[in-house]
Amino acid sequence: MTGATGWLLVGLALGLVVVRRRSIAVGLVTTQALVLAVMALQQAGTVSDVVAGLALAMRAVALGALFFVAVARSRETQPLRARVPPMARAGVAVVLILMLTALVPAFGLTSRPAERAVLALVAAGLACAATRRSTLFQVLGIVLVENGLALAAIESPHASSVIIELGVTLDLTLIVCVAALFHLRIFSEFGAGDSAALRSLRD
Amino acid sequence: MTSIQALAVVVVAVPLVTAGLVILAPSKHVTMLARTCAVATSVLAVVLVGVAVRDAGHPLIGHWIVVDAAGALLLAVTAVIGLASVLMSASYLHGAHSSFVAEGHRDRVYYGVLFLFWAMLLAVPLAGNLGAAWLLVEATTAASALLVGFSGKAHALEAGWKYLILTSLGLGIALLGIAILAAGVPTGGVSGLAWGRLATFASGRSTALSAYLLILIGLAAKIGWAPVHNWLPDAHSQAPPPVSALLSAALLPTVLLVAWRTDRALAPLIGVSAAQRLLIGFGLASLAVAVPFLWRPMAFKRLLAYSSLEHLGVMALGIGFGTPLALAGVALHIVGHAIAKALGFYAATPLLVHEPRAARHAVSGVGRTAPALGATMGLSLGALSGLPPSPLFVSELLILAGGVESGRPWPAAVAAVLLALGFLGLAHATIETLVGKGHRRNVTRLPGLRLVTTLGGVSLVVLLGLTAVAPWLSGSGFVDALVRGVP
Repeated sequence: MTGATGWLLVGLALGLVVVRRRSIAVGLVTTQALVLAVMALQQAGTVSDVVAGLALAMRAVALGALFFVAVARSRETQPLRARVPPMARAGVAVVLILMLTALVPAFGLTSRPAERAVLALVAAGLACAATRRSTLFQVLGIVLVENGLALAAIESPHASSVIIELGVTLDLTLIVCVAALFHLRIFSEFGAGDSAALRSLRD
Repeated sequence: MTSIQALAVVVVAVPLVTAGLVILAPSKHVTMLARTCAVATSVLAVVLVGVAVRDAGHPLIGHWIVVDAAGALLLAVTAVIGLASVLMSASYLHGAHSSFVAEGHRDRVYYGVLFLFWAMLLAVPLAGNLGAAWLLVEATTAASALLVGFSGKAHALEAGWKYLILTSLGLGIALLGIAILAAGVPTGGVSGLAWGRLATFASGRSTALSAYLLILIGLAAKIGWAPVHNWLPDAHSQAPPPVSALLSAALLPTVLLVAWRTDRALAPLIGVSAAQRLLIGFGLASLAVAVPFLWRPMAFKRLLAYSSLEHLGVMALGIGFGTPLALAGVALHIVGHAIAKALGFYAATPLLVHEPRAARHAVSGVGRTAPALGATMGLSLGALSGLPPSPLFVSELLILAGGVESGRPWPAAVAAVLLALGFLGLAHATIETLVGKGHRRNVTRLPGLRLVTTLGGVSLVVLLGLTAVAPWLSGSGFVDALVRGVP
């Protein structure tokens, strides 16, 4: 992985943390997943690697389409304002990224920058899910975490199992499908895909 | 493929195929088909459990499939609770007034997703490597989230959403830990993630410890250990009662098994003491968070959910202490808790018809107005509180004794105090449920009451049987196999 690719992936992740429009956010995550798919296919040395790379590309396209359908079917009169303002969200994400890269020692990927990029994507995904009110952004946070883990699989020095990689792709697709169903039901029940409305169950 | 491996595949395949069949079957045959296939699944699983227990000293270990003592324990629990949940589902569906899907498709979608969930649950204890175990646990999330929100009501949607997001994020963190392990195991691929190969990790102790921490924290979110338990009371209280039973009695301990196996596999690398301290920490935190809620008047299903937090904490303590005595206690606790907790959730189906306000408020005096239902609820709560002769009383004693035996008297002492306080809270709830002040009740015929009371009778016999065999458990070959784990 080149330094530019790493920065591109991290930049797209931070973009997801700060943007307000859902369609732009879906575009950012889909672009990131497609970049990962291209990387996987470029580095593919065996048929299994090619299959895993193609699965990653299909996942990117399928989830992108699913998210765009969910956005189109839950049009909101105005974008939801997150609990935390954009620059503060970016600050939270950067602090989480620095913490994670400082705490997790080198773990054997092809290079330390690749490891940092993996940890940055995971941290940005967690920050996105934790600081956004929009239900769609919370799911995009999960996809961002999984994109980071896909990068770890691509940059691993050992041949990974294609079955495990396909399984992860299938699982993530299932989770996003179920989340999209919930998002649409929450939208029809509460009039907005707003997780702030989901706080009545407390002790 | 050996005959045992083939049987393991069939045990998972039957509910998986059934999930497809019930979606396609004519509406009038859906319930009968589901019940028939549930019986077949359970019988096959029990046969596999019998084989695994008979050969507990010689577990079957492959890269994809493991059949060992700990797996057999969870397989037995999941098979029995799954069957009972399928049997109880007709009563739930009969009384359900709303759902996530259109009325005409409701039953077939419910059973289809329930069988998918059950199939994944049955597969987790049989998973031969950490990667496959993670995939299966993640798959249970997708299916069970749909079931949690199945009623389609606002509260159910809220609970389902919290469950889906929090557990998916947690499992994402666990997957990061697995990716770190995969990068450091020399062989790579699936064989590198096989339980027995994890100890060959070559990137150093501190990296192994980081990976273990990420995996354990991630799985803790799915197990429902404090402080990452926020989804648990909501999901268990809003899910259909048969699903709540599967979530609490089977899903949580099944994911616990994955944490247990990871702990055993990585202990030589990170040090036994470090791994044990973490588990004991989660155990004590879960007990400390659960106990104050057990003292509060609370909706019946929500009370059972907080009791799950307490009992999963007890299991974490037992695994953390790690002595044969403590592990005998864990085995007994998993089975006893599953039976008592599932019975409580099944009783919620007739209870919510008998007293609809029980969905949001504490109930009292059910023993006076519906004696059979009250007795079943009392049996469940009494057993869960650890009231002698409940097997949970014996298992908690074994775990505490195991703590002292392992040279950790202080955590054992703190746990003893917290368990005593938890006992008082649940004992008070038991008394209130049975003989408390009564309210005006709905006296119509209660759906599922006959089945619930039958299950109550069977549960009473099994619980007393467990208490009777408990003294011989700690020296048995089965517990020896638990102590050895997956070699």
